[in-house]
Amino acid sequence: MKTKIILINIVRFVLLLLMQVFIFNKINLGGYLNPMVYPLFILLLPFEISGFALLIAAFFMGLSIDLFVGSIGLHAGATVVMAFFRPISLNVISSNREYESGISPGINDLGTFWFIKYTTLLVFVHHIYFFFMEAFTFANFWETIMRTFISSIFSIILILFIDIIFKPNISRR
Amino acid sequence: MRSLIHFIIKNSFFFFFLLLEVLSFFLVVSNNSYQRSSFISASNGVTSSILSVVSDASDYFGLKSENEVLVQENAYLRSQLVESNLWSENSFKRYSDTVKRQFYTYKSARILSKSIQNRNNYLILDKGRIDGIELEMGVISSNGIVGIVNDVSENFCSVISVLHRHSAIDALITSNGYTGTIYWPGKDYTIGNLNNIPSHAKFNKGDTIVTSGNSTIFPPEIPIGYVVDFSLKDGQNFYDVDFKYSVDFNKIRHVYIIHNLLKEELLKIKEEQDED
Repeated sequence: MKTKIILINIVRFVLLLLMQVFIFNKINLGGYLNPMVYPLFILLLPFEISGFALLIAAFFMGLSIDLFVGSIGLHAGATVVMAFFRPISLNVISSNREYESGISPGINDLGTFWFIKYTTLLVFVHHIYFFFMEAFTFANFWETIMRTFISSIFSIILILFIDIIFKPNISRR
Repeated sequence: MRSLIHFIIKNSFFFFFLLLEVLSFFLVVSNNSYQRSSFISASNGVTSSILSVVSDASDYFGLKSENEVLVQENAYLRSQLVESNLWSENSFKRYSDTVKRQFYTYKSARILSKSIQNRNNYLILDKGRIDGIELEMGVISSNGIVGIVNDVSENFCSVISVLHRHSAIDALITSNGYTGTIYWPGKDYTIGNLNNIPSHAKFNKGDTIVTSGNSTIFPPEIPIGYVVDFSLKDGQNFYDVDFKYSVDFNKIRHVYIIHNLLKEELLKIKEEQDED
């Protein structure tokens, strides 16, 4: 069971990496938009994962994207911040179901509304760090905020979309 | 001491987070400096070869428009044949008065990956050290300037696009000959900014901006863009000029890397000049 979960996550890592680099990085409406779907990897890691494993997984996810894009440290930093906030946001967004073992954070087990809240919060944390780190200044504050919002909205929609597509077993309750 | 260790162990999640964050921050900062390559570079072997395969596939989709551009360029070059080298004649007049000889050579390259949506954009090309590519070579497309090589590996090179925070290139307005420096303000990938044009200079919207040839990187008179708007703030001595890049960075697939054959010599004489 445990090896199965690890295997699923490795496959997810590779698939999201390839999708991000070869599909979503090519989308750039007017240079404003930069949708990111790879944070889904962090969102979907099991609840039982230890803090260290979570942070390391996040770091390598980000670094792998960085290697393709050529912005070393940028995605890695953003993803690590996001991973750091994951346990906190799980506490904040309490579900009416306790996090019993065997369920994973996703639409299937905890419902669409819960997952939207969870995704929105963490993706926004990720994006705000990413765009301010990329700009490396507070000079164009509102413009950076604007970019963060627009990209966040698209990223969140895409992430929800991908999660729904790749989880066809909705009948399981 | 014991309580400190206890504290660190208790908050190990936070400290490990801090460690990784500092590490990635360090990577960002150390990687940011303009002409310095870093220990993990974008032109590293594995990712570049994957990018190469995908680029092979995606090139097919752009074949039609690419062909049109190449046909146009062929026609243009053909019309220049009598004058032999396209840019060499002009540049050689500026720097030396020995017999005519070639100043610049061009090597064509394919873009394996590029970005336009970030604040700092890079390109990766399929030419590297074995093709004779070196640091700080200029990169142009058939429509105008593109960037400067900032990192070279065996088979690939990475290019700092003009759409980069640290990109600053000497430029000249053709209609009046005044020179300035171009920057990318970051908002729109089609719009750049030209500084240092004095307030008494006269020019119009639509005037062409080209490279000045004051550097060893770009030959003179490579197109950069066209003036779309300019303004003079109260009390300022210099215009704030917005221009549209002549290159559509979203569309380019092939570029030329420029090798300045006399760069060493030029740099040497500049150094001697500085010493005096």
